Amino acid sequence: MAEANKEILICRCQEVTLAMVEEAIAEGAFSVDGVKKRTRAGMGLCQGKSCERLVAKIIAEKTGQDPADVLPATSRPPVRPVKMGTIEGEMNA
Amino acid sequence: MPKKDADVIVIGGGIIGTSIAYQLSKRGKKALVIERNDLCSGTSGACDAYITPHTKKPGFHLALCLESLKLYANMEKELGDDLEYWQRGGFQPCEDELSFQLVSENAKALMAGGLEVKMMDIDEFRRHEPNMSPNLTGALHCPAACQVNPFKLVMSYARNLKKMGSGIMVNTEVRDLLWQDKKVAGVKTGKGDFYADYVVNATGSWGAQIAAMAGLEAPIEPRRGQIIVTEPTSTVINTTMQSGMYLVIKFHPEKITDETMKRLGSGFCIEQTGDGTILIGFTREFAGYDKSTTLEGIEYIVNKACTYLPCLRDMHVIRTFSGFRPYVVDGLPLIGPVEGIPGFIMAAGHEGDGVALSPITGKLVAEMIAGEPVSFNIDAFSPNRFIKQAQQA
Repeated sequence: MAEANKEILICRCQEVTLAMVEEAIAEGAFSVDGVKKRTRAGMGLCQGKSCERLVAKIIAEKTGQDPADVLPATSRPPVRPVKMGTIEGEMNA
Repeated sequence: MPKKDADVIVIGGGIIGTSIAYQLSKRGKKALVIERNDLCSGTSGACDAYITPHTKKPGFHLALCLESLKLYANMEKELGDDLEYWQRGGFQPCEDELSFQLVSENAKALMAGGLEVKMMDIDEFRRHEPNMSPNLTGALHCPAACQVNPFKLVMSYARNLKKMGSGIMVNTEVRDLLWQDKKVAGVKTGKGDFYADYVVNATGSWGAQIAAMAGLEAPIEPRRGQIIVTEPTSTVINTTMQSGMYLVIKFHPEKITDETMKRLGSGFCIEQTGDGTILIGFTREFAGYDKSTTLEGIEYIVNKACTYLPCLRDMHVIRTFSGFRPYVVDGLPLIGPVEGIPGFIMAAGHEGDGVALSPITGKLVAEMIAGEPVSFNIDAFSPNRFIKQAQQA
């Protein structure tokens, strides 16, 4: 594994490097969710908005899957961070 | 019999299946974990981190959890990995007089069962957890409660069992069981047939489907738990908390006037992870295998959370998720061999206790299969209790 890959950030929120993603794939991850569970890539404040496509591309390269077949992570609400007080206000309105 | 591929096939790569395979490997048995999706992709990948003996039923259930806690104490050292395992204690906060009364009664039963717990009034509780609302009525404190990161634990079991010569096949669906001389002898999968001396069903919320292949009617149903995740933040709580309302919902549903609470089965529970995010939950609903999160569920959790911990109002929710808990009608898992189905062993139906009971379930099943004396009387957890019921009916 190239030493430089330890310096390349894939998920900026969680500071996950290319080397860590490659290691997760070597350990058996074959989906975006699998990489996420092993490295926390995509679990940060932006919820994978910047890293998900990169992770999918690396998985496709390393496992030989068609990029279109790499399973994405589950999309969940909210789309952007929402204050809990705002949600609470909606309920009591 | 065709050449065997392993001593034991374990179906399910979650926190129960990988624990069993790890414990078997430690005993010199070759295990093969067969997982339909990926490791930690079902219940174990969509849950919380609690190891809380004070939420177990006093009796066999509590005793089993205490055995598991003993194994957890040494687990990081044994596996050689950081598991975010912390013994920080746990609270069961109460929001009204009724829950405080029920929790106090339960505290006596827990102490009689060998667990150290203490009831605290709201002032004493807030000395430990200063961010909690002064409008609560108090809390039960359990110093022995712990938390662990389930992703890290499953991946660590997996690495360790592979090191000892056992195997894992992911993305491999079991389609049927294979039989030899009226004994379960292996599994038929999308990637071929595999044979072993024993087949263990550790498929949690999907346990009834695999049991049905063996001809066993296992009353395991998926029960959905919705959870919300906040942005990472500095320390807001020092312990894990699960509200006393869960006790009221479970044992005195007739006393609950809030219909939404009853329908969603939702109390309040909270933990802060190693990453600083806060996980708040959770509902207990029957929704089949629908893994959605719902506006009603999320709003309910948020509303409760802000009542218990007012400072949360200024924090952001970054994600919601849900997972299935393998619900069994009597609240106890199914662990052990099944009468009339030799070669087949159940280890499923832990509902919300899979994380807490992972080490002990793995150890007991491995002892059974390795022919060692089983270190805990598991009669109360035997799957045969449901066969007998069916015969009497």
